[in-house]
Amino acid sequence: MLDVKPMSLSSRYSMLLPLVILAFMSLLSMVFAITQGSVSLSFSAVWQALLGQGSTLNQTLVVELRLPRVMAGFATGGLLAVAGALMQILLRNPLADPYVLGISGGASVAALAAILLGIGGVFMSGMAFIGAVLSTLLVFGLSTRLGSTAPMRLLLTGVVIAAGWGALITLMLALAPPHKIPGMLYWLMGDLSYASTPWIAWLVLIPTCMVLMPLGRSLNVLARGPLQAAALGVNVKSLERLVFLLASLLTAIAVTTAGSVGFVGLVIPHMLRMVLGNDQRLILPASALAGGCLVTLADTLARTVIAPEQLPVGVITALLGVPTFLYLLQRGRL
Amino acid sequence: MTMIRRILRDVTVAFGLGGWACVPAAFADAICVLDDRGQTVCLEQAATRIAALSPGATELIYAAGAGDNVVAVVSYSDYPEAAKSVTSVGSHTRLDLERLLSLQPDLVLAWGTGNPSEQIDTLVRLGLPVYYVEPYEFEDIARTIENMGKLAGTSTVADAQATRFRTGIHNLRDRYQDASPVRTFYQVWAEPLMSMNASHYISKVVSLCGGINVFADSPRLIPRLSQEAVLLENPEAIVTGGMGEQNAAWLDPWRAFPNLLATQKDNLFFVPPSLIQRPTPRLLEGANILCEKLDIARARR
Amino acid sequence: MSQLVLTQLLAAIPNKPPQPENALSLSFRAGQMWGILGPNGVGKTTLLHTLAALKSPTSGRVELNRQPITQLPRLTLAQQIGIMFQEHQDGFPATVLESVLLGRFPHLSPWEMESEQDVALAYAALARLDLMDFAQRPLNHLSGGERQRAALAALMAQAPDVWLVDEPTNHLDLHYQVVAMGLLAEQARQGRVVVMSLHDVNVAAQWCSHVLLLYPDRPPIWGDAASLLTQDNLEPLYRQKLAMTRLNGKPLFVPVA
Repeated sequence: MLDVKPMSLSSRYSMLLPLVILAFMSLLSMVFAITQGSVSLSFSAVWQALLGQGSTLNQTLVVELRLPRVMAGFATGGLLAVAGALMQILLRNPLADPYVLGISGGASVAALAAILLGIGGVFMSGMAFIGAVLSTLLVFGLSTRLGSTAPMRLLLTGVVIAAGWGALITLMLALAPPHKIPGMLYWLMGDLSYASTPWIAWLVLIPTCMVLMPLGRSLNVLARGPLQAAALGVNVKSLERLVFLLASLLTAIAVTTAGSVGFVGLVIPHMLRMVLGNDQRLILPASALAGGCLVTLADTLARTVIAPEQLPVGVITALLGVPTFLYLLQRGRL
Repeated sequence: MTMIRRILRDVTVAFGLGGWACVPAAFADAICVLDDRGQTVCLEQAATRIAALSPGATELIYAAGAGDNVVAVVSYSDYPEAAKSVTSVGSHTRLDLERLLSLQPDLVLAWGTGNPSEQIDTLVRLGLPVYYVEPYEFEDIARTIENMGKLAGTSTVADAQATRFRTGIHNLRDRYQDASPVRTFYQVWAEPLMSMNASHYISKVVSLCGGINVFADSPRLIPRLSQEAVLLENPEAIVTGGMGEQNAAWLDPWRAFPNLLATQKDNLFFVPPSLIQRPTPRLLEGANILCEKLDIARARR
Repeated sequence: MSQLVLTQLLAAIPNKPPQPENALSLSFRAGQMWGILGPNGVGKTTLLHTLAALKSPTSGRVELNRQPITQLPRLTLAQQIGIMFQEHQDGFPATVLESVLLGRFPHLSPWEMESEQDVALAYAALARLDLMDFAQRPLNHLSGGERQRAALAALMAQAPDVWLVDEPTNHLDLHYQVVAMGLLAEQARQGRVVVMSLHDVNVAAQWCSHVLLLYPDRPPIWGDAASLLTQDNLEPLYRQKLAMTRLNGKPLFVPVA
């Protein structure tokens, strides 16, 4: 589909350097995001607030409002980018993405149903997870014929399933009692305004990345095709099942944290592959960091660009993501 | 350290212990009132920095005579004129909490069905007193004004306003109690076509004026309708607010149905939406206009 | 010195009822170079996949050094048995070097990075198949023949004891046909087992020490190539009249219209 920059060798050094650079950029983006807001704070004021000094107002702004939101945004971006990268390996298709394939839609529908039924907290995350898994199974099941999945068929199935979820969402909104509507709307846009529990996302993101690290080479082999992977000694079925569950889990947690933020899972792994090659041992952790950066910066834009009016972050990622993707597609054509 | 304290507090709140922090008895001479959610809101002293998080709440707090104490409003808070110059903290569905907190309010007037509960919960967690404004009855409007007066220490003005409103409504009720009923369709919106059921305050205004809301029994508060449904009900009068204060264009499509009773009798009425579509003291003015319109309909029989 | 022993093996050929008289009982021994011959659709590829434990047989068993291959962990198996597929799945973008380096996968633990030695092996394989200039090219930019050579290089980097090769000469020009078959013959000489499916009977006549003939309508036969590759055996195999001549002491078959 797209050109991939050749990588000389997967030596430890060539792998570490991009990650160190990305980690540094992540830190910068988070610091930047914490200093920016509708109330301007200097870097030193932010630092003092983080240390528990300075005015109580500044402490409240930084510690209670900005920090959780920035953390939630970063984790959401990381989750979505890794979920996208995993799905792309699983389907051997660079266009796979939780949003495009309707996985986020399934999670959103389940989460909305939870809101309508008055279920909250962990159970809502659980419902979203079931919705994500169900959606993935639907897309997989319907697009697979005789054991092989044609990319076009898969994408079309995904798009149709996503549209189906969209219709269900509209139906639920039309039937919902008015006082539940504002709470429901944000699932559709991808919005960090209400994110209050960033730690769940981090609790999922970090162990997942640790599980994926030793699996990196197996995933490289899987990316060559299931038959080739089996011939090289990979237990394909259990690996595919694990990747599938992880991708669904990551998507579900991202959706319960911030609603359905689109295009992060598509654009981030893609751009990274163009620059860094296609070694999953590098691409997966790099996706977590770069996805985090993107959403953190996008949300900073979302809450400052026309402040006090606040934009949903999903709008920004889509506005950034769609043209970037189209440009890459044009430039990288074979 | 701060993080640890915060987590500890989160845990406390999560286990429902946080509620102890705002037990009314904690204050010696606290001002306590019951908000529209039935929860007690207490202030140690009269509020001087008030955030009104819906256009309706803004009107009510100004009516209560505490307009000078309002430090934050939301988009579309356009009445009274003075409210337009108060700092906005974004739209009611997505509040700029940073800006709101930096204005350091000592009382927040929240809109239960309009503001996102996650954001209001955050304000509660940060220790701000939150009063939910959600009037459904005429009496709710009067009582809210009185409560706001108490909280802001402007009871003299507030009580007078509340009494004026109550008396006005009372007078209308007296006058139209035995008036002959007019089957009325009130159009909330044109595209899609919407009305409201009996629990909506506009429906209560229609009843007050001796009208019968033809969609009173609809299961949804704001039913979406087809034109057919309206033609089937064949109301004697059609009333609408329209999008602008002078804009009666929503009535024109009904003129295409000459068999419709309301069209035959030319009972297509316009009421300025700002006077009827918000549950505020101005509703009395709106009610007066609507009652007059229904009188016109009766006169055309 | 490995050997692969087939006992009453019936591969599960799609859309064909199993016929017990077609069961295979033979040994592929170290140093032998086997060619599997037969018409299209007779099950050459299926047999190779069954030998690699990628497909379960209808009945019978395959043993690698007296252990049933179905009981060996996949990774252990991949250290000893390697297979090159006839069709190259497109997979995800990767460079030629990366794909060849993946041949080292069975020999590395999850936390290990590829060592200097692994990289050297991959480069040696690339050099052997004249692919040094292609090392950094994306795999999907290669021609059919170049991809075939890259797949052989990956198998060479994997360095298994048993080489299962599905149509090694596919897509290759005459020069690279000789390079590829020379590589396989060299493996056999070094004491490895080489089993390949071939559509060209003359390649088998030229290079193979043993052949297995899979007939569409009668039981298979196997054994020494020199004695089995005769007009009498081959004409019913391909249902085609053949003419035979000899070149440098080896038989050469030509179809006769």
